[in-house]
Amino acid sequence: MTRFSEESSVRPNFAFNRYRGVRRGWRALFMSLLLIGSGASYGFDPDTVTAQELVTRAIDLTRGHTSEAKFSMTIHRPTWERTSSLHAWTRGREDALIRFTAPAKDAGNATLKQGQKMWTYTPRLNRTIRLPFSLMSQSWAGSDFSYTDLSRSDDLLVHYELNITQREQVDGLWVFTIVALPHDDAPVVWGKEELVLREDNIILRQTFFDQDMQPLKEMRTLDIGELGGRTFGTRMRMVPLDEPDHYTELHYEAAEFDLPLQDRLFTQFSLKSGPK
Amino acid sequence: MSEVALPRAVSTRGAQAWWLQPKLAWRNLWRNHRRTIIMLSAIGVGVWAMIFMTALTQGMVNEMIKDGISSLPGRGQVHPPDYQADPNINNLVPTPDSELAEKFTTAEIEQWATRIKVPAVISSERESRGVTLLGIDPARERDIGFVDYAEVVCRFLESADDKGIVIGEKLADTLETEVGKRIVIMSQDPDNDIADRGFRVVGLFSANTENLEETYVFAGKETIQTLLKVGDHVTEAVVVGDDYRDVEPVFAATQALFDNGVVVSRWTDLNSYLGTMLRVMDGFVLIWVIVIFLALSFGLVNTLVMAVFERVREIGLMLALGMKPSSILGQIVIESMMLLIIGLAIGNVLAFASIEPLKSGIDLSIVAKGMEMMGASSVLYPQLRSEDIILANTVVLILGFFASLSPAWRASRYQPVEAITKAD
Repeated sequence: MTRFSEESSVRPNFAFNRYRGVRRGWRALFMSLLLIGSGASYGFDPDTVTAQELVTRAIDLTRGHTSEAKFSMTIHRPTWERTSSLHAWTRGREDALIRFTAPAKDAGNATLKQGQKMWTYTPRLNRTIRLPFSLMSQSWAGSDFSYTDLSRSDDLLVHYELNITQREQVDGLWVFTIVALPHDDAPVVWGKEELVLREDNIILRQTFFDQDMQPLKEMRTLDIGELGGRTFGTRMRMVPLDEPDHYTELHYEAAEFDLPLQDRLFTQFSLKSGPK
Repeated sequence: MSEVALPRAVSTRGAQAWWLQPKLAWRNLWRNHRRTIIMLSAIGVGVWAMIFMTALTQGMVNEMIKDGISSLPGRGQVHPPDYQADPNINNLVPTPDSELAEKFTTAEIEQWATRIKVPAVISSERESRGVTLLGIDPARERDIGFVDYAEVVCRFLESADDKGIVIGEKLADTLETEVGKRIVIMSQDPDNDIADRGFRVVGLFSANTENLEETYVFAGKETIQTLLKVGDHVTEAVVVGDDYRDVEPVFAATQALFDNGVVVSRWTDLNSYLGTMLRVMDGFVLIWVIVIFLALSFGLVNTLVMAVFERVREIGLMLALGMKPSSILGQIVIESMMLLIIGLAIGNVLAFASIEPLKSGIDLSIVAKGMEMMGASSVLYPQLRSEDIILANTVVLILGFFASLSPAWRASRYQPVEAITKAD
């Protein structure tokens, strides 16, 4: 029973899923899509380079880049597991289109991002929905990812204070551990994030800590491989650390970079009209 | 009938007749004192029940309304026309905030506040919830809101540009967060872009109902204005007068301040559930009093009829001696009124005596959940209102008068000869 008619109208009328998934996961997913544009080593001095520079460089590399990738997403739960196939296009850090291609049930479901704005399309309903802010924190396609912060990919630079806590050489490559502490007014719920970044801009691990500084979830790069002429993490797994036997895994099957993509690809029309 | 109470000085002179009737009535009342005492206790308990129950109900309604008003509307609110249908950040009061302040000050409305009230999502590391975000000026809001300032854990907001946020204790539990931790507020700006920001929880408030603790979060008005990019605008203005039952003066004063472009509403319009409730309750009290009286009246009429039957010969004698039938009628009616007045006095005293110790509130926390569903808090403060007491007493006296007319009428219509010779 709702007590006040007024109150009920003020409340957003959405069922808020309890999600214990990986909120920042979308950004991590997106970062991974974006950062695979790099994959090469660049001249730097491992002793004096700052975290700011490393991250800026990794992000700058993607500016203006385009990519097209096919990957699978496996959602694993203690009692079931589901694998979907997806097709994704990105252009710079602003535009992205991700579409399910399998299983048949989900095929055609697509998400479009233009700058900060996002839309989803469900062929069964034949509806395009502009994601309202209240849905952004919901789980995306039942995975450990949520929509949140897909819309911003450079917030590591904007909202965090970055520090390198560890530099080491593994197999002849420098690996930096970067601790990111969010600013006080940052729209970030984490206590801190920890990034393990290889000198060729591959994120090996990204850990999210709660405000008691206990690790809550982790994005791990399981395989590093070469696709479309670039070396990047081809298999990544998002693990909520407080829920054993839950994870979502992304596996890149094919990728191409710096290909000409037309403007109309990143439009609502294209969101609806892709392969069903 | 040995102890017939004849007046000591029977006089046919009309001048003495005025006190004769009350005197006879009084004596007759105590002739069968056991019956009278039983009847008095019945009336006393009945009247006590009327007043006591009314006080409890009024207390409950009062709490519900106080909560309802303090949780939102004040006595009256000023809104842009579409806000009620769509509480959206695009529906801003067209008048800038500073101008609103000026208007209220010049109109000498003392208690007012302007707010930004928008739906938002609050997230911690583990949970997120939909809430109503209130951007307030704590200095203005002090006397209006439902927040128990003495109970706030840590601190409440200090100024309109406070960078912290105050959330309900229940919400803090749900979000698994606490004072000192950060949460993220996400809402929408007028361009439909996402507006979000981290806030440090600076305090936890508690309210009468968990619903309020879960629904509202407080932040500084200026901080929210910056976050939502709305400049010097707000979504609502609230005014408060003295008595929530009497909103018209403050409503009229507020309405006079604004021309077209905004809607001024009373709290009874904003919260029609409570508004209707208030009206229904006044009717309910009357019905309650009448129902109890109906039960009482059977006893009353029965007593009077018995008293008349017992006295048939005596009444016949008085009639034969020259007493007018109207005097007989008056005598019986007066007798019943005396009975009622004494009963009412007992009932009123009982009611006062039982409500006074409960003034500090009756703890109903055992059934708190149920009370909350009704929108009432778990402490019940009985409320003795003079209107209700007067209503109960008047109803009893007036209806009692009519109820006693019938036996009295019958007594005054006896034929003296028949009555005197009537066998017991």
